[in-house]
Amino acid sequence: MPQTLQPPPQGAIFMFDYATPPLQPDSYTLTAQTDVRFDNASHPLTDERSFDVVGPRFALPPGDVAGVFPPRNAQGPYEDVLAQIVIKRRTLPWERSLDKTNLIGSPSSPGLPAGYPMPWLALLLFEEGEFTMLENTPLENVVPADVFKRLGQPANVLCTAIEADRQLVTEMMPSKEELALLSHVRWVNIDDRELNVEGSDGWFSVVVTNRLPSRGAKCRACLVSLEERADLVKKDPPPSFVPTTFIPIVTKEVAFRDVQFREAEQFKVVERRVDVDFGRLTISPEQKTRLVVLYTWQFTSQGPGTFFSLMQGLDVGMIGKVKKEGEPALTDTAHLRLELQDRGGEEETVWYRGPLVPFELTRDPLGPYHSADQARRATPETGAEDVSYAAAFEVGRLLAASDARLAQELMRWRRESYKQSARIDNLTDLKAEFQLDLPAAIAEQVHSPIVPILATAAVGTIVSNPGPIADRYGIAAASKAVGMNPEVVQKVYGLETIQDAQALLGGEPATFGAEVRAPQPTARPDVTLESVLADKAGLETLTQARDRVIENVKTKLGEQE
Amino acid sequence: MRAAWVTDKSTLRMRMTAKAQVDVSVPEAEMPAYMESFLGHLRLLVGVPFDYLIADARLLPDESIRFFYLDRSWADRLVDGAIAVGKTGTREQAHHQAHAPAVQEQLDITERGVRDLQRARVSFEFLRKNPRTGSGGTITGFLLRSAAVSGWPHMDVRAFDKVLPVPVDMNDARTHQLRTLRLERLAPSVLLALFEGIPKLVWCEEPHHGVMFGVHEVDGKFSIFRRDAQANKILGSQDISVPRRATNHRVLAVRDVQRNLQKARDDGQSEMPVQDGSADLAIELLQLPWRQRFQGSGGRPQFTGVGAFVPLVVVAPKITQEEMQLLVKGLVK
Repeated sequence: MPQTLQPPPQGAIFMFDYATPPLQPDSYTLTAQTDVRFDNASHPLTDERSFDVVGPRFALPPGDVAGVFPPRNAQGPYEDVLAQIVIKRRTLPWERSLDKTNLIGSPSSPGLPAGYPMPWLALLLFEEGEFTMLENTPLENVVPADVFKRLGQPANVLCTAIEADRQLVTEMMPSKEELALLSHVRWVNIDDRELNVEGSDGWFSVVVTNRLPSRGAKCRACLVSLEERADLVKKDPPPSFVPTTFIPIVTKEVAFRDVQFREAEQFKVVERRVDVDFGRLTISPEQKTRLVVLYTWQFTSQGPGTFFSLMQGLDVGMIGKVKKEGEPALTDTAHLRLELQDRGGEEETVWYRGPLVPFELTRDPLGPYHSADQARRATPETGAEDVSYAAAFEVGRLLAASDARLAQELMRWRRESYKQSARIDNLTDLKAEFQLDLPAAIAEQVHSPIVPILATAAVGTIVSNPGPIADRYGIAAASKAVGMNPEVVQKVYGLETIQDAQALLGGEPATFGAEVRAPQPTARPDVTLESVLADKAGLETLTQARDRVIENVKTKLGEQE
Repeated sequence: MRAAWVTDKSTLRMRMTAKAQVDVSVPEAEMPAYMESFLGHLRLLVGVPFDYLIADARLLPDESIRFFYLDRSWADRLVDGAIAVGKTGTREQAHHQAHAPAVQEQLDITERGVRDLQRARVSFEFLRKNPRTGSGGTITGFLLRSAAVSGWPHMDVRAFDKVLPVPVDMNDARTHQLRTLRLERLAPSVLLALFEGIPKLVWCEEPHHGVMFGVHEVDGKFSIFRRDAQANKILGSQDISVPRRATNHRVLAVRDVQRNLQKARDDGQSEMPVQDGSADLAIELLQLPWRQRFQGSGGRPQFTGVGAFVPLVVVAPKITQEEMQLLVKGLVK
């Protein structure tokens, strides 16, 4: 990797075929030799140090796993997804030798450049029932004796292993070249939240499986070690095929009525073609094989199919598109014919159209409607009713009625409005009588402190122009009583003429009929102090009146004494 | 029996013509928050039984998507019906009559925030202070009945007023995106979406899961797209078929896949990377989230029925005609 390589921008990934370690895990001896000369003699200094390069071999620490897909214990539609494991060590798949002594051999027609490094790891996918997990098994019990020998006979190694049918493992085991194709290295931006994992340098190695999960299968993905497993890894893959006609082996998850017999028959034929070899039922140890598992997780593939195929298979159209014309029959306006019982109990054919229509409609400007009947329409052509909007009205009413709180809020809305509306009515009446000092906007008027404003206005009116007191004795009001009405009296008492009734009520029609005028107020011209003082006669009268009062008081007091 | 002081008809007329209702500008005339929110939800058909939306199950068969316009008059009637609760007399009727235009105008604004309320993104009080602009224009949408809805409940649905060219420029997409007013599963496999405006392009996108590898399975055949070295799908190219092992049909014949890809490149698809390593194969096996596009001319679709009659076009447009209005108004007077 050249030093100038810049890390990928966010959202981008750089992919590499492989990343090989500078040193493979092994035991190394470092020999340092320096030739020192002094006194014309050679004094070589030699030092030897041993060190081991170690790496995960029979187990992978969970901390080294950056992620797996499908996620652990996930359930979802994974049938078109190849499981993968992302490892934080970018060199891990290439740290050990698959086959040091080349027992496997070279592919008959190589597709990769010569010297392409081979990984020693593979991700195998097993479905439930195909395997047995073995925990803490001695390594010598997992791998065949010759493999154990080639591995260097490490003592006291306990590992996790998977045991499965040898034929199955051979069927899915990638060939030597395929192993190389299924491992790669990924470099992502360390700031990328979606792609990167916290605490990593952005480099990952990825191992992908080659087997797709079956629909509905509970799957176990196993990262297995193939180090020196020449007994399982072949140089060439088994023959392949591309299906030309589809035979539905998996039952489609469709509504029951859609399952066709023809498909089911085909399914049976396929079953019959499989030769059942009863001899295989006797299980002998040779037919099982075991593999060292470095890491494993489970997930379930379930679901209706893939997003891609479902979306591609959709029947697309505007609402009202039907599979077969006339089922159901729709009018050009997208109305549907419905049978219903009207309120009289009679069967009636009506038209109905829901809120979802295949064309743009203008909005009905006539509104609001106060009852469902108001929204009923009749079509002149057929005489049948269109109940669409009436139905909408009723749905709205029922939905609202089923919500107790809404009813309360509706009441509150109205009550507040009524309250304010009454205030405005009062204000309107008052404004006719008084000059009220109110803001211009009605909204502000309603919220003005009306009592002080009215009091001020009323006092002002009284002070400036009290006006005459009309009907001082209440006669005008009294005359409005029914018993004072000569016409009524005449009718009730069966009098001959209206004059008789008037006479009975007090003779003069003017008693009640005439308007009572208020007396003219006495003229009170403005006076000054001078004019009062000049009025000698007046002052004299006042003095006499005062003296008379004093005399009276004296007399009264004298009597008491 | 003594005759009533006023007849009910004259009372109603008096009520309807009297202008003594409280002005809508008065704060007390405002709808209570709960009521406004309820009616706003109702406007977008929240809670309306499915049978009223699709009166016949055959109008939305299994594995189908149906696009539609929302009939605003229908939604308005829903609101009228809801307000009719507790409307016992002419006083309530007169009150509703006077306030209906303001209520309608307010709900045209409120309904735009319903989705945020449904997702509990904002409070109603916040929405009131920061109203969404809008004019109560056309609302469109679709109903999708598919197993994809139950399998991918978090699929990303967006609508645009322009057919976006591929590859999509996300900035361009943002400016042309129509507001999603409602996106809700009505049943495990039925999805309802409502948009503000008339979309020219709608897409449904598979949720993201990071980097995935896989194949496309259609009718039991596996295939993959042709991708260039940057993993972009080469548009208009034929998919590459994926062979499997004869011994196990779920195991891909990886070596032969690689050979097929190399052959496609040798046959003239020079954008594809040379297949000389695992990274090149990984690029081709990448399975990016699938984005299903639905696009049309946006015109009125051909719609044919076999109903027995061809009735008076549509109800609502007829009512906008002036003579019709006069006729109806005459009936009320």
